[in-house]
Amino acid sequence: MATVTSPTRTRRTPSARASRLLANALTYAFLLAGAALMLGPFLFSLLTSLKTPRQFNTTWPVSLPDPVTTENFTSLFSEQYNFVVPIAVTAQVVLVLVFGQMLCSILAAYAFAQLDFPGRDTLFWVYVATLMIPAVVTIIPLYSMMTSLGLKNTFLGLVLPFLFGSPYAIFLLRENFRSTPADVLDAATIDGAGVWRRLWQIMVPMNKPILATLLLITVVTQWNNFLWPLIIAPAEEWNVITVATAALQTQYAGNWTLVMAATTIAIAPLVTLFVIFQKQITSSLGVTGVR
Amino acid sequence: MNARRRHEARAAYALLLPSFVGVGGFLLLPVLVVLGMSFMEWDLISAPEWVGLENYAYLLTSERFANSLWVTAVFTLLSIPTAIALGLLLAIAINRGLPGTSWLRVLYVLPWVSAPLALGVVWKWILDPSYGVLNALIGRRVEWLTDPQLALPAVVFVQVWTTVGYISLFFLAGLQQIPVAVYEAAKLDGAAAARILRSITLPLLRPTMFFVTVTSVIASFQVFDSIYAMTRGGPAFRTDVIASRIYDEAFVNLRLGRAAAMAVVLFLVLVAITLIQQRYFRRRITYDMS
Repeated sequence: MATVTSPTRTRRTPSARASRLLANALTYAFLLAGAALMLGPFLFSLLTSLKTPRQFNTTWPVSLPDPVTTENFTSLFSEQYNFVVPIAVTAQVVLVLVFGQMLCSILAAYAFAQLDFPGRDTLFWVYVATLMIPAVVTIIPLYSMMTSLGLKNTFLGLVLPFLFGSPYAIFLLRENFRSTPADVLDAATIDGAGVWRRLWQIMVPMNKPILATLLLITVVTQWNNFLWPLIIAPAEEWNVITVATAALQTQYAGNWTLVMAATTIAIAPLVTLFVIFQKQITSSLGVTGVR
Repeated sequence: MNARRRHEARAAYALLLPSFVGVGGFLLLPVLVVLGMSFMEWDLISAPEWVGLENYAYLLTSERFANSLWVTAVFTLLSIPTAIALGLLLAIAINRGLPGTSWLRVLYVLPWVSAPLALGVVWKWILDPSYGVLNALIGRRVEWLTDPQLALPAVVFVQVWTTVGYISLFFLAGLQQIPVAVYEAAKLDGAAAARILRSITLPLLRPTMFFVTVTSVIASFQVFDSIYAMTRGGPAFRTDVIASRIYDEAFVNLRLGRAAAMAVVLFLVLVAITLIQQRYFRRRITYDMS
């Protein structure tokens, strides 16, 4: 990372050095306080999920669990709470949507970026304009459409509205596909590669970084989705993890060790994923500008 | 040549077909449907009934709806400037490049990858009057989420906490694009730190500022998950943001027509805000360094 502060080493007076030291100290203090505030809630909820209700009630809320217990997690997975179901449903939803969204967005972005056809610019403008439509606005009509198709409390109801790509992903991919060098593609055309082969043998391999970023963004968005699943699939057998966590909190209010185990299950997989791929994500955020 | 062009156009339409089903069927069509629904009365049980402008007439006089617009506006006006100011400070602090600080960026983005619903549940516990961390730390019993005076500031705080790190990443990316030479020149001229911030950093961050403001406002007007987890719009509708109101009206009170009319109003408000912001930020300042 480039530093912008004082690359020129000029002569410094003692007072300038003192004020610089003070500025550094303040910066560290500010950043550390921020880091503690950011990390705190994650840490506290994890600690609580590893305590028994008795420990929780008798000890200081920020104390370490002694001894550590996995009781909350095992009872979440027991028949009583049956958290296996929401995890399985969420995993399937994420898998199907990642596949569907990536595929449909790649196809559309490729057509917009590299092919020539009547109405291309108008159609692209329409796609971009739909970026302005807020999710909250479409939720009620989508609900009435899906229920009239008999898709309430079904897997299809959960995934169908998001299956066919997202205008945001198409927009982002098109920008990247356009900057793929034309001579590489021309060479392939001369070699007899058709539209389809140029896409999969040149375009996709050459744009792996942005595709990986988009994949991660899609996983995060879909895993964390709440409002749509809450409305379309309230039946327990189709609860996704966020809906199940909300239901658990409502039903067992006050049973905080159990509820924190549920939030840990909802949060931990993505945090792990993020820490592994953090370079990929942080470096691309500035480019992609999601949400 | 002409045959090849036709072939290419056919291929393009085939490639666009799936996404067109998505954009047409699940984005454009719903906008038309929501408009149609806003002229109807429908309780999910009996058949929808055409009522003309009745739903909109109701919204004009409804105190509850006015309250929701007000709550959403206050929520936005409190959370976004705070998050932007703190995010900018964070970015400037990280951008100083002090040893051992670049990994902190990872921490700041953790809330962004976590489900807002789950974070809302975690904060509901932290702010719990009897068992929460916060009251244990300050040694006092405060009803953060159930006191009508404190609930809105409390959810604003959680919103700032959730978004600030993410916002700071955009500012960091913006800061790193400002040429070092600009700062050097200012320093040689003897400009103080505050002056550099006001006359160089902020004007050159204008495009980033525009992007962050627009996306934050749009997100803020739709906030739902964390409020659902923490307060469900209570106490006494003090945190009843517009998305909560639409949800309650549609799926608790079963008045889908009214909820649709609210959604239409929200859509128009968001379009208007975006246009106004675009106008305000149009006069951009760029320092051409080439």
